[in-house]
Amino acid sequence: MRKTGWTALAVLMLSACAQQEGGESEEAQVEKAAPAETETAAATDENEEDVDGPVRPPSDPYPSTYEPYPGETVLLTGATVLTGDGERIDDGAVLIADGKIASVGAAGEVEAPEGARTVDAGGKWITPGIIDIHSHLGDYPSPSNDSTSDGNEIVSPNTAYVWAEHSVWPQDAGFTRALAGGITSLQILPGSANLFGGRSAILKNVPSRSVQGMKFPGAPYGLKMACGENPKRVYGDRGGPDTRMGNFAGYRSAWIEAAAYKKKWEDYWEDYDSWVDNDDDDKGDAPEAPTRDLKLETLAGALNGDIKVNMHCYRADEMVQVLDMADEFGYDVTTFHHAIEAYKIADVLAENNVCAAMWADWWGFKLEAFDTVGENVPLVHAQPGGCAIVHSDDALGIQRLNQEAAKAMADGRRIGIEIEPEDAIAWITSNPAKAMGVLDRTGTLEEGKMADVVVWNGNPFSVYAKAEKVYIDGALMYDRSDPSRSPRVDFELGLHDNDYTGGAGQ
Amino acid sequence: MTAAIRKMIPMKSFTAFIAAASVFAAAAHAQTVAIMNGQVHTVSGGVIEEGDVIIRDGRIAQVGADLSAPAGATVIDASGKVVTPGLFSPISSIGLVEIGAVADSNDATPAPQSPTDDFPLGASLNAIDAYNPSSSLIPVNRAGGVTRALMAPNPGTSIFGGRAAVIDLSGRANSVTRAEAAQYVAMGQQGSDRSGGTRMGAWAQLRDYLDEARSYHANPNDYIRRPHGRFAVSDLKALGPVIDGEQPLIVSVNSANDIRTLIRLKNTYRLNVIIHGGSEAWRVAEELASANIPVITDALYNLPGEFEDIDATLQNAARLNEAGVKISFYDGAHNIRLIRQHAGNAVAEGLPFDAGLAAITLNPATMYGLGDQLGSLEAGKIADVVVWDGDPLEVTTRPEAVFINGRRQDLNNRQKMLMERYRDLERGDLPFAYRGGESD
Repeated sequence: MRKTGWTALAVLMLSACAQQEGGESEEAQVEKAAPAETETAAATDENEEDVDGPVRPPSDPYPSTYEPYPGETVLLTGATVLTGDGERIDDGAVLIADGKIASVGAAGEVEAPEGARTVDAGGKWITPGIIDIHSHLGDYPSPSNDSTSDGNEIVSPNTAYVWAEHSVWPQDAGFTRALAGGITSLQILPGSANLFGGRSAILKNVPSRSVQGMKFPGAPYGLKMACGENPKRVYGDRGGPDTRMGNFAGYRSAWIEAAAYKKKWEDYWEDYDSWVDNDDDDKGDAPEAPTRDLKLETLAGALNGDIKVNMHCYRADEMVQVLDMADEFGYDVTTFHHAIEAYKIADVLAENNVCAAMWADWWGFKLEAFDTVGENVPLVHAQPGGCAIVHSDDALGIQRLNQEAAKAMADGRRIGIEIEPEDAIAWITSNPAKAMGVLDRTGTLEEGKMADVVVWNGNPFSVYAKAEKVYIDGALMYDRSDPSRSPRVDFELGLHDNDYTGGAGQ
Repeated sequence: MTAAIRKMIPMKSFTAFIAAASVFAAAAHAQTVAIMNGQVHTVSGGVIEEGDVIIRDGRIAQVGADLSAPAGATVIDASGKVVTPGLFSPISSIGLVEIGAVADSNDATPAPQSPTDDFPLGASLNAIDAYNPSSSLIPVNRAGGVTRALMAPNPGTSIFGGRAAVIDLSGRANSVTRAEAAQYVAMGQQGSDRSGGTRMGAWAQLRDYLDEARSYHANPNDYIRRPHGRFAVSDLKALGPVIDGEQPLIVSVNSANDIRTLIRLKNTYRLNVIIHGGSEAWRVAEELASANIPVITDALYNLPGEFEDIDATLQNAARLNEAGVKISFYDGAHNIRLIRQHAGNAVAEGLPFDAGLAAITLNPATMYGLGDQLGSLEAGKIADVVVWDGDPLEVTTRPEAVFINGRRQDLNNRQKMLMERYRDLERGDLPFAYRGGESD
């Protein structure tokens, strides 16, 4: 197969990562040690017939080296289980084996295989690992100062060329605190000063020496864009945009440029194929590849659907305009972030299959955040086909997304929207997983998925609930009763009385 | 309300305050309300499982079990409900800010209008001068069960924020409970940023202010005649009640080191000091208890966000309380209603429930010298009362009835109005901008 094109590149990326995810084989270990070679090998594989092949931008030049840590086979039984896809099992059981969810069901019905450890989880609640679709951990780490502030490339309204992962400091203590709040996966987004902020990184919340060691294997990239006040405030006296119409002109010009860039590469591949197929002896040299442009490469990826568009947008009217723009250029908006006014257009969002990521009650810090209502999340949820997500955008908020969801659920119920814990848990598990493009791997307790699991000491929709155990790919990464299962990042180590463990807050 | 209370009674005139407070009560339309059969958390005197609270003339008339509703009283059946004192937010800029990023609606922080225009005054700024009782923040937070709040300006160029006032959240024009209830000063990193970039500079500057204020107050006429230091006389004048130890000085500090320095300063100058921040306060909990310094903290803060927060932990409040330090919780301005979420989280981290509730009711009242008037359900106190539909520290609980000065409060607000307008998105006969006004 020679005509790989953009879509095939995405498949290539997934398959390369899937090999790594296979995990424990020696082969995988070697691949892990030499990720660059893996990429080359796979690419060669795809282009067997012509060893050189046409030039293609690398699809995954900083590949994930994450590999699940060992975990035992464990049966958690007797708990209230919220599966993340709307089911609640009272007196339920979850079997974790080989890093995967092996079985979920009623306590009596899930059998422990030989050698499995059975844990009485009576009185506990079990949910999928919590997922935050909007975090800046690592990019705006603790401690916060000029040296570490790496979240917003405020130099141009279009910095689609930056990748958030290149700023992520894995030694941010915020990751450990988020772990104690049940966070197992998260999306790190560039900041919102720019119309196009750059690429996001989707991580598993597992400490690592490098960000590659945290990257969620095979997760698609996201593109951060921003509406409204921020870009015009930042660039108003630096050459623009200075207005909301300037914002839109900026987006649209960039999409036109990106579409042309995308076509240039597609034409090149087509010409290359024609050149290969040409049996003429004097067909000349192979066509010359276009010059790579990091900015347009990301935007072209968004246009062809490989990169998910995450649009920071508070106001209802702006969201509706963005949806028209997406139609104009033929791309999809995956999620509106900070969608304070989503409730005003919940029907439009549902019709367009767009998720809204929201806070429970933040408001008033700027004018576009004035129209907050406590029922925003429930009203989006209540629309047929509505996709509601509760997000944090905050190193403290990420530690208790369950409480934020609880507040929203409570306000929704008071106006007569029936929302049970088994529904609301989706706002912080399966819905963000869907929006981030990883729902086939995590986000619910379904057989075969990654064993990203939280055991709570009670109903997680309570202020008193604490995550007691957090499993990531079946490995016990956090245990509230055991400081040795609580990572301490290097920055904190030895400062004051900080010991090697207990960094998640015990 | 009479002119007497509208004059805003500074802390110095404590007897005047008491007199004014009784005027208050008389003005409350002589409403009599009987809240019957609720789980009553008095805060000062335990929990009454099936208790009654009788409100008359703006005051709490009786608290107990098996009381009978007075004739003519409005009876509220609180069976299955929880009754507490109104929440008291110990610090925020509520009343001074509408939209954070909209300069013409934000009076909370003096900001330079140009790089060369650093506004010099600090301590003399007086929150009541800018207080906007019609702010949209007030009804929103009132509907969240907050009945009183300290309204404090933030420091701009000066280390001092200015004089803070206790207000009630009725939204009425005369809703100032106590003007000049506290002074605010930034030490720690914030102080350093305003003092040449070191903590030494910040503490030296604060001592300098206090010394100059003493010098001014010893003989004001003499002070203004002779050449004096670099400080504005108005600021020194405003610091009078602080150096007298009458007006609490809220000091923003976080690190254990800064707190130790603060304790020394308090002892030297005999100040009435309250800590705001205190992320590492638990490390000096015993010393704080001995020095009788309360701590207003963010119960959710547990990151080494700056080098002064290395030991920040969720157990801060529980450890301080255990050592005998009076604690309270703060959260921004727009959502001071979230102080109960702070309390709930602190309880989840080991703080006893009763201490958590006291931290957002009686403790702030006591910090600002209002503990004999507010903060608990006791006969004779001002009737700030909330009836909740569940555990008041639980995030899923909401107030069903809120009383301020004995008056039942309207719990409607623009957030609820917006929700009502858009809860049904079916196209109607008229655009959305007409919705909500229909008579039905």
